Amino acid sequence: MLGQLITSGIAIGATYALMALAMVIIYKTSEVLNFAQGDMAMLSAFVAYMCLSTYGLGFAMSFTLALAFAFALGAFLEFAFLRRAKEPNVLGLIIITLGLEMMLYGLASWRWGSDQKDFPFPVSDFEVHQLGGGVVISELNLVTLGVACALMILLFMFFRYTKVGVAMKATQQNQQAARLMGIRVGRIMMLTWGMSSVVGACAAFLIATTDTLDPNLMWTPQLKGFSAAVLGGMTSLVGAVLGGFILGVVENLFGGYVSVEFKAVVAFAVIVLILCVKPSGLFAKHYVRKV
Amino acid sequence: MKKILWLMVLVFSLALAGAAVAAEVQGVTDTSIKIGQWGPQTGPAALWGAVARGTKAYFELINSEGGINGRKIEYFLRDDGYNPNRTKAIAKELYEQEKIWGFACGVGTSPGMAVMPYIIKNNIPWVGMATGSPHWAYPPKKTIFAVYPLYPDEAQILTAYAIDTLGKKKIAFFYQNDDYGKGGLVGAVRELKKRGMTLAADVPVEVGETDLASHVLKMKKAGADCVIMWVYPKHAAIVLGTAAKLGYKPQWMACSTLSDVALMFKITKGLWNGMIFGNFAELADSKAPLMVKYHKAQMKFAPKERWGVFFYAGFGFVEPMVEGIKRAGKDLSADNFVKAMESLKNFQGIMGPITYSAERRQGIKKVFLAKCVPATMEVQGKKITYGKGQRLSDWMGVE
Amino acid sequence: MDMKRDYYEDIRLLDSGPQVFWLVVLLGALAAFPLVADSYQIYTVNLIAINVIVALGLNLLVGYTGQISLGHAGFFAIGAYSTLALMLNAHLPFFLALPLAGFISAAFGFLLGLPALRLEGPYLAIATLGFGLTITQILGRLDVFGGHMGLQAPPLELFGLKVASDAGRYAVIMPICVILTWGLRNLTKTRVGRAFVAVRDSDIAAECIGVNLTYYKTLAFAVSAFYTGIGGGLMAFILGFISPHTFNVMVSIMFLAMVVVGGLGSILGSVMGAVLITWLQLELARIGELPLVGPVLTELSNQVFTLSGLPNVQYVVFGLIMVLIIIFEPLGLYGFWIRTKIYWRTWPF
Repeated sequence: MLGQLITSGIAIGATYALMALAMVIIYKTSEVLNFAQGDMAMLSAFVAYMCLSTYGLGFAMSFTLALAFAFALGAFLEFAFLRRAKEPNVLGLIIITLGLEMMLYGLASWRWGSDQKDFPFPVSDFEVHQLGGGVVISELNLVTLGVACALMILLFMFFRYTKVGVAMKATQQNQQAARLMGIRVGRIMMLTWGMSSVVGACAAFLIATTDTLDPNLMWTPQLKGFSAAVLGGMTSLVGAVLGGFILGVVENLFGGYVSVEFKAVVAFAVIVLILCVKPSGLFAKHYVRKV
Repeated sequence: MKKILWLMVLVFSLALAGAAVAAEVQGVTDTSIKIGQWGPQTGPAALWGAVARGTKAYFELINSEGGINGRKIEYFLRDDGYNPNRTKAIAKELYEQEKIWGFACGVGTSPGMAVMPYIIKNNIPWVGMATGSPHWAYPPKKTIFAVYPLYPDEAQILTAYAIDTLGKKKIAFFYQNDDYGKGGLVGAVRELKKRGMTLAADVPVEVGETDLASHVLKMKKAGADCVIMWVYPKHAAIVLGTAAKLGYKPQWMACSTLSDVALMFKITKGLWNGMIFGNFAELADSKAPLMVKYHKAQMKFAPKERWGVFFYAGFGFVEPMVEGIKRAGKDLSADNFVKAMESLKNFQGIMGPITYSAERRQGIKKVFLAKCVPATMEVQGKKITYGKGQRLSDWMGVE
Repeated sequence: MDMKRDYYEDIRLLDSGPQVFWLVVLLGALAAFPLVADSYQIYTVNLIAINVIVALGLNLLVGYTGQISLGHAGFFAIGAYSTLALMLNAHLPFFLALPLAGFISAAFGFLLGLPALRLEGPYLAIATLGFGLTITQILGRLDVFGGHMGLQAPPLELFGLKVASDAGRYAVIMPICVILTWGLRNLTKTRVGRAFVAVRDSDIAAECIGVNLTYYKTLAFAVSAFYTGIGGGLMAFILGFISPHTFNVMVSIMFLAMVVVGGLGSILGSVMGAVLITWLQLELARIGELPLVGPVLTELSNQVFTLSGLPNVQYVVFGLIMVLIIIFEPLGLYGFWIRTKIYWRTWPF
């Protein structure tokens, strides 16, 4: 049972990791906690669902369209709402994302109603591989793990080695200075939001396959992803992914051996304890702000 | 002297007029009767909001047949998002601003509980709350009439069936960790206790939970060969998927809130096959004359709705209310309506037999069991597999 | 009004003659309100008053001290449950149980304030969010508090008088609301209030000039929790029935929205935010029935969206209002108010 609990924990942790990655990308450039993250992803999943079942497109086509939609949606929200904020403070921006979350949630439930839907996916969650000792992992879990790790590495390289990635980091450290250095901060922000939205959409496709598709799909994963990101340190990509895995495993072990009832909240207790020791998460450097 | 006489006449007639007005019942005229309902049209429980829209279609059907005793029903539907806070506001708004006569259905235990004291205080008729919690009918309240069979009773019936008919020895109970799930748990424990048995495992799930691997492993480890579920459709789907992945294959059983076979079959990608579940209303493809009639009404008044059990439950929950109004005749004062309702004995619409009396406020005490079987139909030349219910038993109750 | 010439002008509660006049008018109107309004209107105002209390408490924390909280539903729940438990189990009268519940809530606030000493931004947000979720989870587990079945509020009794009507409850709630508002305004004008503001603007700088961070940060949490707890205790009687379900994350988020939409660091702003958000929550539920908008929305639902999803329009409108207010006025409704005032003062220029 121990082996299976850990394996399942890592599998579910991979979905948390994806959501955490999405949050970290935005936080890294603009220090905004994006509460609309989950519902942006949920909307993209609905778009994929519509392409698949209403218009009968193939998987490749549908998912590509949905990811393109996700990118456009992220970029649009940044351009149309966040950038318009006059003299923004961080709290105000958070409230804007909360407002956006409600709008997206409302639009999705208005368009598709509240009945649960089945989300078709080319990889099955029931085809399992034996890992020995009766421990199994499904193909879908493997795909999720692969996607999470691949995206993490890709994003890491992107931020480290590309010009745009470095520009994004510069934007976070000092917007004014970045602008003076010739970085088009507006464009960078749009790009960040688009990228983050795409990562979130990937998470939503994978989550909707084991779950059922409805407008409430992403609320819990978003909170979990948020926790994972905080655990990992909010600005660290590797930290976000590891945070996701740690969260998944801790939850499952707690649920398996201590109490299923408190499984949903144990994560938060662990996080508060860890944060007391390391206030900026496990994998991020702690900056003390200048006065 | 004459003047004084006139004055007295005037005072008397005014008083009489006043009395006449007072005798008039709020929300009822010779041609109309106002009925309200709250229901979650938004939020996580919106799936069950179909009940409120079903009631709307039913009232439209009744109005198109000329209403009840010449009175047409004016229907007010409000969304409370399953938030007790808002339910209370809605109840007050409907009763005090819109001046409605009574309440129909209403989804959810917490929302209902928030409103109940208000309804008792104002003597408002309230029939057919869409939840099987025992709070409504026990102890009985004058103007409140429950329809939905009690969760504990239903759980007892399912447990007894698993042991007696299916010969299962180790029963696990998988339930939502709140009033709804625990209602079922109580019944299952009660039935097992009668036989000197205990649950192999009782595993609660929180509403926000999406990862159920440790839950499934718990039941698997306990070696349960039958699992009874008292959860949201979402959790039912996830738990079946997780169990299939982990190679755990017990006999699954589900409560009547999960009796929307077609939907459940679809969202579980076929895993619902073989599920044995309780039913509080006829199956969706039933050929009972009332069901056929209601299905036609749905196609006419709400063509875009899905003919699922929660939609037509909205018809069934208010059938006794309509019958009561009919029997009460012209005078719809609370007292007269209660008397009319208490005269209902084994009244049957599309749900189980409904009986009320001076001491009894729980209308239905019976459910029937059905099993999910796959069926195929042809849509635009393509064969589609869907799930449908196959009746296993007649209406049965707990002795 | 704008120039402060000496210290006493700064700590004065009311700045000018007209302010005193309008205050008296407002209090008069509040006193006369239950005489002219019907029961449903009074009920709405009761809800608003409770939300004002909570918004004030939260604004002290968020607006004045600069700490974020996504867990105030937890304090709300603690207040509500403690009040009822003290009345039902310890048989305390309401006027003792309510402040006691406030102090219990404040104690929890103090505890939550401890990790907050080292946390900021998203880290604090997640810690407080976790607090809110854990509290409801634990409450659902404790049978003393009715578990998941919830708890029925006992009849409200004050000095032997039964309070059963909405107007009666108004008579209890509104004075408390007014007193707490006055108390907060007083607090912000003192040494403590200025220490809070110093912590918000820069905690390191504040520490350098001798503000005890540990003391003031935990104090801010405790006072904020006290207000929220009192609000919760009153809410229990408005609803008549509470269950853990009543205090979900959405409630915390709505409180935060009230504060930010109303105006950070402003008492008038908290009041305006609470009024607007509460009113919207109640009114938007009926958006499909509005005279002109309703048919348009219905038609739109038939064409593009689904009819059964129509009530969700309320979320769209709600979100849009929140977003627009923040975009155009970072100070929230209070900012609008200030700008309108300045516009009229300098009119016609």
